[in-house]
Amino acid sequence: MSIETIYALAPEVILVATATLIYLGAAFLPARGIWHGVAAAGLILAALVLFNQSWGLQEPLGSAAMEIMRAGPLAIDDAGGLDPLARYGRWLTLVVGLALVLLSKRPQPQALEGEAAGTLLLAIAGLMLAIAARELVLLFLGLELISIPTYVLLYMGRRDMQSQEAAVKYFFLSILASALTLYGFSFLYGIGRSTDLASIEAALAAGGDGSGTLAAVALVLIFAGLGFKIAAVPFHFYAPDVYQATTHANAALLSVLPKIAGLVALVRVAAIAMPGSESVGWRLAFILAVATMTLGNVLALWQDNIRRLLAYSSIAHSGYMLLGLTVGLAGGSGAARSLDGIGAMLFYLAVYSLATIGAFAVLTWLGTSHRQIDGVDELAGLARTHPGTAAGMAAFMFSLAGIPPLAGFWGKFTLFGSALVAEPPVSSVYPWLIALAIVGALNAAIGAAYYLRIIGVMYFRAPIAVPRAEGGWGAATAMLLCSVAVVAIGLYPGPLVGSSQRASQAVQKAEAKRQKDESEQAVSRNQSKEAREQTTDSKVGA
Amino acid sequence: MVNLLFVTVFLPLAGASVIWILAEGGPKVIRWIALATSLITLGLTGWLVMHYPQGVPGVDAAWLSPSPGGAPDIRFSLGLDGLSLWLFALSALLMVTSVLVSWEAISERPVAFYSLLLVLETGMLGVFAARDIILFYVFFEFTLVPLFFLIGIWGSEERRYAAIKFFLFTLAGSLLTFLGLLAIVLIDYHHSPSRTMTFSIPELTARLAERPIDDSVQLWIFLALFAGFAIKVPLFPLHTWLPLAHVEAPTAGSVILAGILLKVGTYGFLRFSLPMLPEATAACMPWILWLSVAGIIYGALVALVQTDIKRLIAYSSVSHLGFCMLGLFALNRLGINGAVLQMVNHGLSTGALFALVGMLYERYHTRQIADLGGLSRRTPLLAFFMVLFTLSSIGLPGLNGFAGELLILVGMFQRAWAEAPAVYAGQWLTIAVLAVFGVVLGAWYMLWLVERVFFGPLREPQHDEHAAVVRDLSVREVLALAPLAVFVFWIGLVPQHFLKPMEGDLNQLATQLGARVEQRFGPPARLDLAATPQPSREPPRVD
Repeated sequence: MSIETIYALAPEVILVATATLIYLGAAFLPARGIWHGVAAAGLILAALVLFNQSWGLQEPLGSAAMEIMRAGPLAIDDAGGLDPLARYGRWLTLVVGLALVLLSKRPQPQALEGEAAGTLLLAIAGLMLAIAARELVLLFLGLELISIPTYVLLYMGRRDMQSQEAAVKYFFLSILASALTLYGFSFLYGIGRSTDLASIEAALAAGGDGSGTLAAVALVLIFAGLGFKIAAVPFHFYAPDVYQATTHANAALLSVLPKIAGLVALVRVAAIAMPGSESVGWRLAFILAVATMTLGNVLALWQDNIRRLLAYSSIAHSGYMLLGLTVGLAGGSGAARSLDGIGAMLFYLAVYSLATIGAFAVLTWLGTSHRQIDGVDELAGLARTHPGTAAGMAAFMFSLAGIPPLAGFWGKFTLFGSALVAEPPVSSVYPWLIALAIVGALNAAIGAAYYLRIIGVMYFRAPIAVPRAEGGWGAATAMLLCSVAVVAIGLYPGPLVGSSQRASQAVQKAEAKRQKDESEQAVSRNQSKEAREQTTDSKVGA
Repeated sequence: MVNLLFVTVFLPLAGASVIWILAEGGPKVIRWIALATSLITLGLTGWLVMHYPQGVPGVDAAWLSPSPGGAPDIRFSLGLDGLSLWLFALSALLMVTSVLVSWEAISERPVAFYSLLLVLETGMLGVFAARDIILFYVFFEFTLVPLFFLIGIWGSEERRYAAIKFFLFTLAGSLLTFLGLLAIVLIDYHHSPSRTMTFSIPELTARLAERPIDDSVQLWIFLALFAGFAIKVPLFPLHTWLPLAHVEAPTAGSVILAGILLKVGTYGFLRFSLPMLPEATAACMPWILWLSVAGIIYGALVALVQTDIKRLIAYSSVSHLGFCMLGLFALNRLGINGAVLQMVNHGLSTGALFALVGMLYERYHTRQIADLGGLSRRTPLLAFFMVLFTLSSIGLPGLNGFAGELLILVGMFQRAWAEAPAVYAGQWLTIAVLAVFGVVLGAWYMLWLVERVFFGPLREPQHDEHAAVVRDLSVREVLALAPLAVFVFWIGLVPQHFLKPMEGDLNQLATQLGARVEQRFGPPARLDLAATPQPSREPPRVD
């Protein structure tokens, strides 16, 4: 652990330090209401440091420091900073984390308020760590640092039987998923004789007796383990029950943090570190994507409990994001740089997270500290009683349904576009990608039905009971933040699309490098002239 | 970037925000702002139309991708051409009517109502002005949102169901259309030697004319586009959402839905399917012609048995839009020109008819034909306009409907008489004759409606206390209808004024398509005959 590594991880360090401070302070100070503010301040401080790291006056590392960083567990780029994928993910996490901290601020502070805020910060730090990792142990550590605080938060959220049941259910299934992931990682370790993803990549690229088979086994296990985190069918069963039985703030956390972690980890492991397994990888992702989005959308149609409905909605959206992963795995590096599957997935992750947190913020805001909104029908007539809130909720629902000019539309655009523009190295894969895009489009139509139902209930029905709307300023601020983001990204999506596409170049670069090696071999054998052109193309593009 | 066209498209949006800001001013202020906005927009549109084509500025700015690399180069680009000019103008015109007919009918939440109406206007103007394929889709899809609320909040009894059914039906189709549009762009990207991705509609049209997409792929893309556009038109048998949505919508909603939004479907065919997928268009032509004529006859027959006036007019739209599709897919000059003219005509006459039904409903609170009769005595002005627009709708010579329908039918007969193997010529002729039969049916159900409601002994709903004080049209209502009536005569008497600006672009399209149709359904290719050793049995042609 060098000073450079610590500096690179400074945002995480700040978050953990803030969390510790809060734990200590909450034990001794009687004030309960301030801890979420402290947590938000910690996040903003971390964001300032991250800003300095991303665009600030950082001197390029010396060669000695570069060596240390290269040997270290972090995913870095050529300049020694964290790579674009990590940078994108960490920024996303901080924004999402800020919204979550605001959202979980309760109007009347209750016991263990400080502990809740600190635990949430730990989960956010864990997510940032998992995103920055290029090493299996650190990756797993990051994933666990998300899961363990989540168990605690699930216990603290509500104190009734259902909530306890949900927490236990989540705990056991999550442990099982972690074990599966770890088992998968152990195969990778066996292949690469190292936990470093770069070594594993090199070992797999070099090939060796049976490494392909082992890699396939590892991939299946990792997909299963991380599939639980992102609530992909058939690992989704916990989601509706747990969401229903917990608070809106916890449901928002569950539908965002593990999902970002799982998908970024899948990109790191399956798309970057496992060359040669793409054919297994895209098939797995394809099946998961189709099953997840279809089942999620269809089951959401029948839900009356709003959290259950949003749980199925979050399952369905995992399916769309897996669509992007499928394209990224199958698409090859010849695809248009501006519409890459992984980049589309990362962009979708952002717009999905903002709209989902926004929706949960609306629901939190509408409830009171003793009673929260449960049924879809409780929103009846909201447009009359709380017009602003209803407009915000409508924006989130339309965005999730992918209606322009909101952020979600551009998510669908980049996803479907990437599927259609892909140029898989094996041309027989292409029809499958088109089929995937068609399934995705039909699913978007099915999905629109339940989002419209919520909007219809809010706008077209007379109010039954007026919601108290005592959710506190935290939820209101989170709602405002998310709705501004959803509309702004919808009207001017360029910068975010651009940075998500640049983030996915971390993947493409690895693939381009590999392709270069392969084509150099080919050139030395005087075989393929085309391959050379393609490489120069991709070099120019990069 | 900010120029007159841009201002025209976004002025209604600005008006909507002004309404929202001045929400406290009370319904009166809001109505006047809405009216002023729509009038200024109409004025600007008029200026644009008069200075077409030289004086119409285009807008073109980077939207998605500020710097090269990163995001795909989707541009914010607007412009007008012969295909869209009149539909653009029609949108601005009908919006004034819509605001005026809502004047007293909408008392509940006027701020939201007029804001949504103006937002919808920006959406419609944007659809017709968009020169970027994604920008087009954004506007195309976006028009659903305000209309969804207009139907769902201010509609009649079944409004919730109607709003959701309307939205989902159209959305399901248009998502496939979205894939189709994307596929056009991306396949063109794969084929282009320079490997550049363009979303610009004119550029794509030019590039696809040069390097067409493979025939079989074209067919699939055509079907994808068809899914969205045919639902929007609506082409038989995809019309089931239409009567419900039209009947349940508030008057202004019906006027806009019938007047403009149905044309977005036909416009989509005209803008994308015909020029970009000519091979598939020619291949699908017989199917679409049959569906169109089925729609014409079916819509007319169903309209004949309706007991509700609004529903009757809704079904008449199915029939009339069948004519538009028939003209478009006759794929010759007369047919396409007639189809576009007929789109405008249908917007004028059916828009006005829905407005009239709304006025009738405000007076009697019923739309049942059986409840009403002999109203020409009570409300002579209303009856006058009803007769006028009915005659326009059924195509009386001298009024606008005649010019459009005539061109379409002549176009179709021309297609039938073009040299073709008997199996095709027979089909085309049958279709043309059936379409003429549809015109007759159209006259029947419309005139019968007018006769039952406006002539004969006076019959008014008894239980209604308003009946005693029923007044004829007010000045406001006349002003809502008069501009439409002016255009009914204008187009009817001098259709050249309207055909001239658009015929350049349309004829170019027709020539291009004519060649494909000739290849596919025309006489056996001469080359083949020349290649066969036997002398041809056909008499030698002198040409």
